[in-house]
Amino acid sequence: MIVIDGSQGEGGGQILRTSLALSMVTGKPFRIERIRAGRKSPGLLRQHLTGVRAAVSVSGATATGAELGSQRLEFAPGPIRAGEYAFAVGTAGSATLVFQTVFPALMLADGPSVVTFEGGTHNPMAPPFDFLERTFLPLVGRIGAEVTVELVRPGFFPAGGGKFTARVAPLEHPQRLDLASRGELRSRRVTALLSHLPDSVGDRELETVSRKMSWPSADFGIRRDSRSVGPGNAVIIEVGSSEVTETFTGFGDRGVRAEAVAENALAEAKIYLAADVAVGEHLADQLLIPLALGAGGSFTTLPLSRHTETNIDVIKRFLDVDITSESLGNRTWRVSVERR
Amino acid sequence: MSTKPLVVIGLLGTSLDNFSGPDRWERWRPTVSLFQHEDLLISRLELLSQERFSELSARVVADIGLVSPETTVNLVPIEFENPWNFEEVYGALHDFTRGYAFDVEQEDYLIHITTGSHVAQISLFLLTESRHLPAKLIQTSPPQRRNRRPTGAFEIIDLDLSRYDRIAARFQKEQREATSFLKSGIETRSETFNRLIERIEQVAGVSRDPILLTGPTGAGKSRLAKRIFELKKARRQVAGAFVEVNCATIRGDSAMSTLFGHVKGAFTGAVGARPGLLKAADGGLLFLDEIGELGLDEQAMLLRALEEKTFLPLGADRETASDFQLIAGTNRDLRKEVTAGRFREDLLARIDLWTFRLPGLRDRREDIEPNLDYELEEFERRNGVRVTFSREGRTAFLDFATDPETAWRGNFRDLNGAVTRLATLAPGGRISKPEVEEEVARLRQGWGEAEPATVAVGALDPLDGDERFVEFDLFDRMQLASVLRVCGESKSLSDAGRKLFAASRERKNTVNDADRLRKFLTRFGLDWAKAVQLGGTFGAQNPK
Repeated sequence: MIVIDGSQGEGGGQILRTSLALSMVTGKPFRIERIRAGRKSPGLLRQHLTGVRAAVSVSGATATGAELGSQRLEFAPGPIRAGEYAFAVGTAGSATLVFQTVFPALMLADGPSVVTFEGGTHNPMAPPFDFLERTFLPLVGRIGAEVTVELVRPGFFPAGGGKFTARVAPLEHPQRLDLASRGELRSRRVTALLSHLPDSVGDRELETVSRKMSWPSADFGIRRDSRSVGPGNAVIIEVGSSEVTETFTGFGDRGVRAEAVAENALAEAKIYLAADVAVGEHLADQLLIPLALGAGGSFTTLPLSRHTETNIDVIKRFLDVDITSESLGNRTWRVSVERR
Repeated sequence: MSTKPLVVIGLLGTSLDNFSGPDRWERWRPTVSLFQHEDLLISRLELLSQERFSELSARVVADIGLVSPETTVNLVPIEFENPWNFEEVYGALHDFTRGYAFDVEQEDYLIHITTGSHVAQISLFLLTESRHLPAKLIQTSPPQRRNRRPTGAFEIIDLDLSRYDRIAARFQKEQREATSFLKSGIETRSETFNRLIERIEQVAGVSRDPILLTGPTGAGKSRLAKRIFELKKARRQVAGAFVEVNCATIRGDSAMSTLFGHVKGAFTGAVGARPGLLKAADGGLLFLDEIGELGLDEQAMLLRALEEKTFLPLGADRETASDFQLIAGTNRDLRKEVTAGRFREDLLARIDLWTFRLPGLRDRREDIEPNLDYELEEFERRNGVRVTFSREGRTAFLDFATDPETAWRGNFRDLNGAVTRLATLAPGGRISKPEVEEEVARLRQGWGEAEPATVAVGALDPLDGDERFVEFDLFDRMQLASVLRVCGESKSLSDAGRKLFAASRERKNTVNDADRLRKFLTRFGLDWAKAVQLGGTFGAQNPK
């Protein structure tokens, strides 16, 4: 049995999600110990339990220790079952993280699946819906799996209640994906997403970005979405190039000024724009599993975060792959994922 | 961490939970906030709400569904006109409690006490504290300024306070102080006795029922009863006085009036009214020592006073009320007294609820030393004189006191008497071996023991085992031995005679001392020469 130390590296939920995802696709059971050890409330939280339950229902697994506060979990998957599923996360937790947990398994299932996810769609510390739709899934498509998502309504902290549907077609002819450069810059889009909040908030956010970047006013826009239950706000900066579309997001929160929300998104976008890389920090992390499950590939990116390094360690425990990173100088790195 | 599903029972907060519009998510709503914590997973909510707030309750239920898809919510109808009326609110909540099927084997329960009027919160607290609600409390609190998220915080409170280390430590300290108080601060070592006192402390702390203290006379029943009263007084559990009476001292005609009082003119000589001891103990504690000595009529009245808290004074046509706690003391076996028809069975049943048997001093040998020190300190406190033992004196006294052969018939009363005498007679405030030996003899005499035979035969009968005297009684041998010792120390028969019959000589009624002695010796087949020889052999062993 594979034994994972849940307290290594950045620790937290990412180790658990990667382990669950890869256990399902490989059929290898695992045990994770010291889950979130040393945190203020150690062990499994409600959002993690939702992830475990989702994995159990997709793979008919048995899970022991799947209890609130448990620091030890044993997971033994069965065969993956394609089909229709609905998963809901409490406390406005991220629904996209539940997607991230089950999508690799459904991608390798023997039939198409339709899955509804409920919870938060635009949460800090999680890939926002727009990132999945515009940045991540198009690349997954180039690897060979057709996955589409549709937003029913956004969900923000603290009300949650967001909803999106994912249609996952199985990966049939995996393609190698190599992203040496992002290619030619084609579009920029700065969006202030507003739910139950006045336009003035969005105006201030767009103003903040436009004052710093001399981008044409056609690149800026407010997106009002009143389908959400509670109020919410995000600033999304999309950078479209011929090879990759990158997405950078700042999240509104109580007590955070609109200007600061915009500045957070812009700061990340500027780092990407200034560097000669194809893939930003978060996308690099997300791409590792699809590349490792597909036909391998490579990309250039910024220096790897600790988060990504921990993720690589866990992937190597389950899959027979080489994941290497080499410095190309000037804060540019090349990561390659090769199946043995 | 408990693995049972968690069920929360709470009242809809008609003001705190009452926010509408998308902005409500920016507000702290206690009931909704329960479901917004990553580390609190609630399987079911029983939301107690009134019909007229159905719109609000529907909104709260829907919002809980969003933030906690793991939870099912049951709306439980509850009605009260005035949420600030204690009787009404408590009644409604009590009805809910009685009607609800708690399954404590399968589920854990939390009572949410943040919502509802203060009256409702108090009622929920009382129902939980009295274990009508088999639950812990959960308290939600709004966000502090530093944490601006509307989720706030929660705290689970188990009213079984012994579960909290710091509170438990306080209780233990308090209990230690209380038991030490009951033992008058004496560091007793007897395990049985210490456990007994702990149990008495426990009972005295919560119960107003009668307590029966049994045990031999002098075991400390009276002192303990007084201590129990003082402990209760310090804890504000009694407001009245401590009234103590030994039933043996009030036998006869006056017993009724002493206990229950009389009105003016109730009988010849009843010039004034007398309230009686039961009335005097109203709101306090009545200690009836030697309750077995109480007459049957008085027993009947006492039983009624215990059960009804009222009684009829002599000559009165109206009952008097008195609410007192009874501590009864006895050294008799009351069950035997019941069989013999001298004690009412129903009264015994009433006072036998908490029976504690105080062991006598003989059964608490390890407590003699701490009690000895306590008695010395008490003597010093009473008389302002410090008295100490010499090392030899202390050893001698403790050897005697802890000897299994030592009777201690009067128990602690004897120990107290012994220390008082020793301390009073101690030359220069120092008790040494001779004083102890004297006291030991005095105690033995008090207990009706002769000079202990085993000691006497060994030390005082040098003729024991001498074949010439086996046919004589110990009585005679002892006399002979003393006479021979004098002979051994005397110059002549006449000299010995003068010493031995000194008292008679004083009264001038003796004829011939030497002749009386010669005749005495002849009875044992001895002459003067043999007497001097024998007396000399054991005279040396005894320097006197």
